[in-house]
Amino acid sequence: MIIDVHAHWGPWFFTMDVAGANLATMDRYGIALSIVSATEAVIYDAPAGNRALAEWLATSERHLGYVTINPRRQADAERDLREYLPTGRFAGVKIHTDYTRSPVSSPQTREALAMVAEAGVPALVHTWGATVLDLAEVCESTPGLRVIAGHMGADGYPYAIEAANACDRLYLEPCYSHAPAGRVSRVAAAVDRTRLLFGTDSTLIDPASAFGAVAAAGLDAETAELIAWRNAVRLFDLDITA
Amino acid sequence: MTAFDAGGLVGELEVTFDVDVLVGAYPDRDGPPGTPESVLAALAGHRVRAGAVASLRAALFDVRSGNDEVLSLRGTIGDSGSGGAGTGRDAAGAVDVIPVGTVDLRDPIGAVREIDRLEPLGVRAIRLFPDEQGVEAGFPSVRHVARRAALSGLVVLTGGDVRRFWQPFSGLEAKVVFLDTHFYHLGDFLVAAADEPGFHTSTRLLNSPDALETVPADRLVFGSRTPHYEPIVPLLRLATSGLTPDEVAAVAGGNARRLFG
Repeated sequence: MIIDVHAHWGPWFFTMDVAGANLATMDRYGIALSIVSATEAVIYDAPAGNRALAEWLATSERHLGYVTINPRRQADAERDLREYLPTGRFAGVKIHTDYTRSPVSSPQTREALAMVAEAGVPALVHTWGATVLDLAEVCESTPGLRVIAGHMGADGYPYAIEAANACDRLYLEPCYSHAPAGRVSRVAAAVDRTRLLFGTDSTLIDPASAFGAVAAAGLDAETAELIAWRNAVRLFDLDITA
Repeated sequence: MTAFDAGGLVGELEVTFDVDVLVGAYPDRDGPPGTPESVLAALAGHRVRAGAVASLRAALFDVRSGNDEVLSLRGTIGDSGSGGAGTGRDAAGAVDVIPVGTVDLRDPIGAVREIDRLEPLGVRAIRLFPDEQGVEAGFPSVRHVARRAALSGLVVLTGGDVRRFWQPFSGLEAKVVFLDTHFYHLGDFLVAAADEPGFHTSTRLLNSPDALETVPADRLVFGSRTPHYEPIVPLLRLATSGLTPDEVAAVAGGNARRLFG
């Protein structure tokens, strides 16, 4: 069983049509549950995307949602957290720092992450390169905050190792459209394995990318199981057993 | 077996020609050393039966000695391979090395001189490393080398952003494989390739859910960038694609063999 902690629902602006692909793709890779953010919410209009996602989640048993927050729209964020987290269909918060041009270290993202900490759910935050170090710093200085470094810094994965070792409330997930040799095995060897998660970036990226990268790491059975689902169950407090 | 066993998904897929293989190391990153022995073992372990092999020594330091290194590997080498970790692939087998000549775009005069040297030695393809050499698509050297390659019908394997690097090859009836086509830029490849029958793309970064299924199958060639990328990723994507078995076989090597003659 696999839980995908970084997935999406909705259309993309690239040359692609993924509308019908999702469930069959999840089955192929043994993904039992995907935690998704709405592409509309991430890219353009957070409240509209969250609203559409909430309606769609009511029709799906194999997905949970992230409430997407635009750090520049704090009032919208407060309202959406209040409205959607109690439904039980949303497991955390998504913040994309690039689409909102709100770096992790910016005042508005710090404030948004403080709000997430107060809500008591994890936040999936886009990280690229050395920005994952900023996430560790903000996490460390925000009591109670738990964050997932989306893409674990992508090509900056050595920074992700440093970040995870600097803050014990920071988790890593590996999705990335590139697959540099040894990326996952190096991270797995250097970071507390109870803070490694699995994410695909589906439906933007086919799960082949993250699944193959993790497969190539040749993890032992216990570590693989932690990454596949056990760590996610604990982090999101999910009612799932083997 | 763990939840991340890729062997069952890849099944019996064999790659009969991988257009993107390197020997040597990148000094600016913590990658593998890329010794010829380790590279060929990695290919064999993933059931890759032939590879177009180029030299990072040639790309980054010394063209002639780097190219001579891959020329010395020409032919069928090895009889065993170890499977990639966690890939469930452990097939033994030899690997056929097709040497690829590397040129240095920072030296366009020397680049053409090196092509002149390599052609009589039977080299049928050259490789360009514009990112590694800090060369932009609009530099005169790229068009100069493109013209020379097209004149001899050489296959050009080129890195770089396809949205820019299509241009120096246009109108030359060039045979080109764009090794770095990212699915973000697939639309640009498709419109450029529509006017250029010799334009092909590597599968390496076509990792969106429908990229492989969007490109005409006769323009797709398998590329892994072994050993600096994980070969299991493009293998997995191809094996689980929506292509027909004949199309998969073409992408896994038939198209590249046709291209290389």
